Formats: sequence, structure tokens, C-alpha cells
Amino acid sequence: MGSEHPPVEEHDESKKLKVQIQEKDLLCINGCGFYGTPQWGNRCSKCWRSHLALMKKHHDFTKNRTLLSFDNFQERRKLSTESRSMTIKKIFKPSAMLGEGQSQTMTPSSSMSPVTTPTRVRSLSPESKASREAFSEYLSKNLPFLLVQDIVKTVKYATNKIHELNAISPDELSDLVQNFYQGVSEKLNHNPVFTSGKLKVRTQDVMEEIEKFLCVSCYSRLFCASSDEEVADVSLQDRIRSLHWVTAGFLETKLDFTNVSKCKTTNCQVRDKLDEAISQIIDMNGHRTAEKKLRCLIDCCHAIFEALKESVAPTSADEFLPVLIYVILKGNPPLIQSNVKFISRFALASRVMSGESGYFFTNLSCALQFVQEMNHESLRMNQDEFEAYTSGHLAPPLSLMNCACNQAIGSMERSLAEVGELLKKQQQLLVKIEELDVKMTKENEEMAVQFANFLKVNPSQKYLQMKEEREKVEQETKLACSLSDSWSSSKLSSSRNSEDEPKATEQATSTLLQ
Amino acid sequence: MDEGFRFKVILLGQGAVGKSSLLLRYVENKFSLRHISTIQASFQSKTIEVDGRQVELSIWDTAGQEKYHALGPIYYRGSQGALLLFDITDSRSFEKVKTWVKELQRVLGDSCALMIVGNKLDLEKERTVTEQEARSYAETVNAQYMETSAKENLGISQVFDRLAEEMIRMAEASPQQNTRTGNSNSANGRSNRTIELIDDEPKRSKCC
Repeated sequence: MGSEHPPVEEHDESKKLKVQIQEKDLLCINGCGFYGTPQWGNRCSKCWRSHLALMKKHHDFTKNRTLLSFDNFQERRKLSTESRSMTIKKIFKPSAMLGEGQSQTMTPSSSMSPVTTPTRVRSLSPESKASREAFSEYLSKNLPFLLVQDIVKTVKYATNKIHELNAISPDELSDLVQNFYQGVSEKLNHNPVFTSGKLKVRTQDVMEEIEKFLCVSCYSRLFCASSDEEVADVSLQDRIRSLHWVTAGFLETKLDFTNVSKCKTTNCQVRDKLDEAISQIIDMNGHRTAEKKLRCLIDCCHAIFEALKESVAPTSADEFLPVLIYVILKGNPPLIQSNVKFISRFALASRVMSGESGYFFTNLSCALQFVQEMNHESLRMNQDEFEAYTSGHLAPPLSLMNCACNQAIGSMERSLAEVGELLKKQQQLLVKIEELDVKMTKENEEMAVQFANFLKVNPSQKYLQMKEEREKVEQETKLACSLSDSWSSSKLSSSRNSEDEPKATEQATSTLLQ
Repeated sequence: MDEGFRFKVILLGQGAVGKSSLLLRYVENKFSLRHISTIQASFQSKTIEVDGRQVELSIWDTAGQEKYHALGPIYYRGSQGALLLFDITDSRSFEKVKTWVKELQRVLGDSCALMIVGNKLDLEKERTVTEQEARSYAETVNAQYMETSAKENLGISQVFDRLAEEMIRMAEASPQQNTRTGNSNSANGRSNRTIELIDDEPKRSKCC
């Protein structure tokens, strides 16, 4: 609302002037024929709204980019290590490699660019630093000094140039980089050092090193550089998310998940190998060089072949491509499209066009295109059904194959079966325990009876002895009883005529005491 | 830099016509109904000698299912030769070959050497596509035609030798298509460049 700040007269005057001079000025600046208002930047309501939407989109993009992109990650990391790297830089400055001086002189010019902040150009990320060291070490080890100097100068020039170029589409940049590769390799091919055949390394090897260095040092400029591409990536990711229901069964893969019960160890391998493939393809985004990204892809593909080994060997493309698609759907690798574009634009042509890496890369491109264009026809199903599954209104039926593909359901089913088996065993055990219990009590009783009977028939020696002794004792007591009876009766009868007898005994005892 | 040639050959054919059998027979001279030793037959390379010259063949298998048909052009890119395989006992697979030929010529023009191969010669009794029919078709599309049996190792290496000869002939006829090992760059058709990343001209100012 800049119109409120100036004094009132002036404001009025300008308004008057406008009215007096040109009514055309009141029209929307977009030239749509409607009247515009100053509050809306001289636009009509409609144009203002679309302008706002555009601004918002732009704002969102920049916000997303700072949240998602590698740059920011790098920046954050840089912040934490900045002070340290500065001191390190100071220490190493005198011994820095050739071309350092050039880069120092280049920085002021590149600092003028709005995208690349001056600090970022100046202090290299740890990755760039490491790759620069590796690059210069490789060159100085394998090539004569003069040539090294030449190459370093050329590459330095190119990387600086890439950082400077702002208003350029990624495809144009790709052309430039590819031309650069071609130019350098032609130059190297015509260099007498290479044509003499004295070197251990080939032009191709040197080119690979140059490519690696260029990828790392210009990653922020080369990777996922436009908003459209990021939007495309996000929409692809959403699409893959909505296709979560597409399982190995729908893609007619020949993965053998079903023989779980038959052979547990090999089946685990199939799953493990697929997991490995998925983690490799996700890992692609984590590397900066096209070479390492492709390495991940190759490892991923080899894991797929391993997984397929159990069901079909040797694996032809007929079996391989569906599984690659399945792996992409399950893994939903981040920024995969940008990674593919990065590789196809900035990798050496030889990597992308030939050899194993080229083959797998082509397959990855195919798989991505298939995912993007996947529809009911490509899965051979009803259109309504396809749309219902994709929008989430319907869940696909759990056929055997689909179930078997789902790890969670698979392991649950296995556990359920195991639990069932255990329960059955327990039941059987309980029955047996009861049987045993009954048998034991019965046998116990029987034994007692038998024992008693047996004892009756065959009494033991000891028993006989004890019995004998008892009888003996009984007899003795009987005898004793009868004796005492008789004795007492006799005593009674003789008590009158033997009265002096106790006296005699008393006397005897007293003498004894004395 | 006349070290030799490097060619990319794509292998096209419907499922079960014997693509992987043919490839394995050629590369490793193996045939079995269940191959076990090799785990993949989708990408193979082999170096052969044609007229005393080294030729490195990279053979790319493609998925033959109908639903992946639309992806074909991605595979065709940059290939110098195509091997179109069909099963002589299956006329549908021969019809499939015809559609591929059309597509290849649409995408690559005449820059790609075509070789149509009728496989499963060992099943001669069940043949449904006659040699005459296939041969005359091949002539109309400017392709070569041969018959093979991967099972009995008939005519396999001849197929690749003939294809390699044809590819060399085409490469020499059109030198702008550079397939030499020295520089296998694909920077063709890149014009109107205004900015260079190489500063080999000293007059050029270094930056804006």
C-alpha cells in the first residue's frame, strides 16, 4: 500500500493526472481488456489472482527445494563445519593444487550470481574436496606434469563456467557438458602422450575421472536443477504410492515366493535379495557421481538376477524387467527421475550407451516409463477396477500370489501355521497326560491289591522273623503274667510265716552300707 | 585409431521363441532345458573377428511381452543391429516380428542392420511359417533371413557373423556414424552452441 505514504495532495494530484491523461492506464497491465487497480499491481481481479497463484507456486517451490535438495543439506553441514574448514583452508592454502589461484580470481564474478552464494563457491563441501584430491592424485600419478596442468586448467574452467551459467536449461547444459567431454577426449586422443602408447591409462580412464570430478563439484548445479523436474519427481512418487496395490502377481513376475513351506532357506534368500535390490536403488540418490549412481543400479540389478535365480535361470529380459518394475514400486526411490536425467545428461556417453551399465540404465528408463504410463490395459484388468484400486476405494482381492508377495501377511501366515501346530501338539500332550494319570492311579490301586495278596501268600523272611519274635514275646509275657500271678498268690499265702525275712534283708543291706 | 568396431545389437522376439537359448548358445555354447550355471541372459557381450577385424558385440535382450511393447524405442536408441527372432512353429510370433520391423524402421530409419531369424529348426515337422514366406518378407524390408536351432546349435554363430558383416558395411558406408572404439560419443545433432566449456581459444574472455 505505497499510495498511503505520500502526502494527500500529491496522491490526489497523481490520481487526477492519471484520469486526465490516459484512461488506457487504468486497464489491466496484462492487456486483457478489464480495468486494473493499483492495489493489485494494476491488474484486474482475474489477472491478480493468477499472479498470486504463480507467486505462491514459486514460493512453494523455493521452500520445497530448500527443504529437499542436496544443496541445503550441504549448506547445513557446511554451517556446522564452517569454522573448522576455514582454518583448514588457511593451513593448506600454500600447498593447494594447481588452478587454485584461478578459482580464487574467479570467485568475485560468480558471487554476483543470485543463485550461488559467494560463500558456497569459496568453501568447498567435504565431498568436493575429497574428490578434488582424488582427482589430482590420479592425474599426477598417471600422467606427465604438463598434461596434468593442462587438464586441470580445462576442467577448472568448465566447472566455474557451469557455476556461472544461470539462465540455461538443463538440456542446454547437458549439451555443453557432453560437448566438453567430447572436446576433451578428442584433445587427449590427439595428444602425443596418449598416441605414443607408453601410458598405462587410456583416454577413457582419464575421461571417467574428469566426469567424476565434474559431477561432484557441480552437483548442486547439475542435479534436479529446475522446478518442473522436481514437480515431476514428486508426482511420480505420489503415483507410485497410489500404485502400492500392484504386487508381483499383477506384474506377472516369475518370482517364486510360494515355496515357503518347501524350502525355507532359499525363499528367505529371494526376499533378502529383493530387499537388497530395493535398498540399492534407493541408495542411488545418495551418491553424487554418475558412476556411483550407476554402480548402485548395477548392484540392484544383480540382486534381482539372484532373486530370480531360484525360479528361472538364466533370466532373460522377459523376466527381469517386471521385477525391476516391482522393485521400483516397492522401493519408491527418492528423486529417481532426476537421478535418471542427471545420469543421461551428464554421464559419459559410453556409460549410458554401452556396456552393462548402459543396459541396466536403459531398463531403468523403461521401467520408469512403464510405471508412469501404467494403466488397466498394461495390467490386463478392468478399467473401473484399476481406478478403484488406485484411488483406494477398493482393496484388491487377496489371491494366493498377492498374499505371498506381501511380507507382513506372509510372515503372519507362517506364524499362524506354527502356532496352530504348537496348539495341536499341546492338545495331544494334554490328552496323553490325562491318560497317563488315569493309568497311574489304576495301576497304583492294582499294585496295592496285588502287593497285599502277594504278601499274604509269600510273607517275607523278615516278616516271619518279626512274627516269630512277636510270638515269642507274646509267649514270654504270657508266661511272665502267669508267673507273676502265681508268685503274688504264693506271696500272699506265705506273707504270714516269713515276717523275719525282711528284717534279715535290712540287716544285710545296712552292713553292706557300712 | 582403427582398433575395431563396437556394436550394439538388440534382440527382439516374443516370449518363448528362444531368445535366451539362442543368446546363451552363442555366447557360451550351452543349451539345456534348464540352464543353471548362468544366471542372466539379458545382457551379454562377445568379441569376434570378422575379416581380421575385431568386433565387439553387445547384445541387449528386450522384454517381449505385449505390455512392454511401447517401451521398445528406449531400447532401440543407438543400436546398430537388430536380431528379430521368431518361432517357425508359431505364426503369431512371425506377425510380431513384422510389427517390430516397422517400428524399428520408423525409429532408426535405415541406420540399423536387420536380421530376421526363424528359430526352432529342430521342430521342422511342426512348422507353420514357411521358409519362402519368411525370406520374401525379409527381402521386402531389406533385412537378412536365416534359420537356426538353438537346441542343435545350427546356424547360430553364422547369424551373428553375417549381422556383424552387415553392420561393418553400413558403418563404413556412413562414416559420420561413429562406432569406432576410439570415441563412442553420441553427441550427434548438437548444433548452434554459443557457449563452450572448453577455453582452447585464447581470444575468448573467461566470463561475463
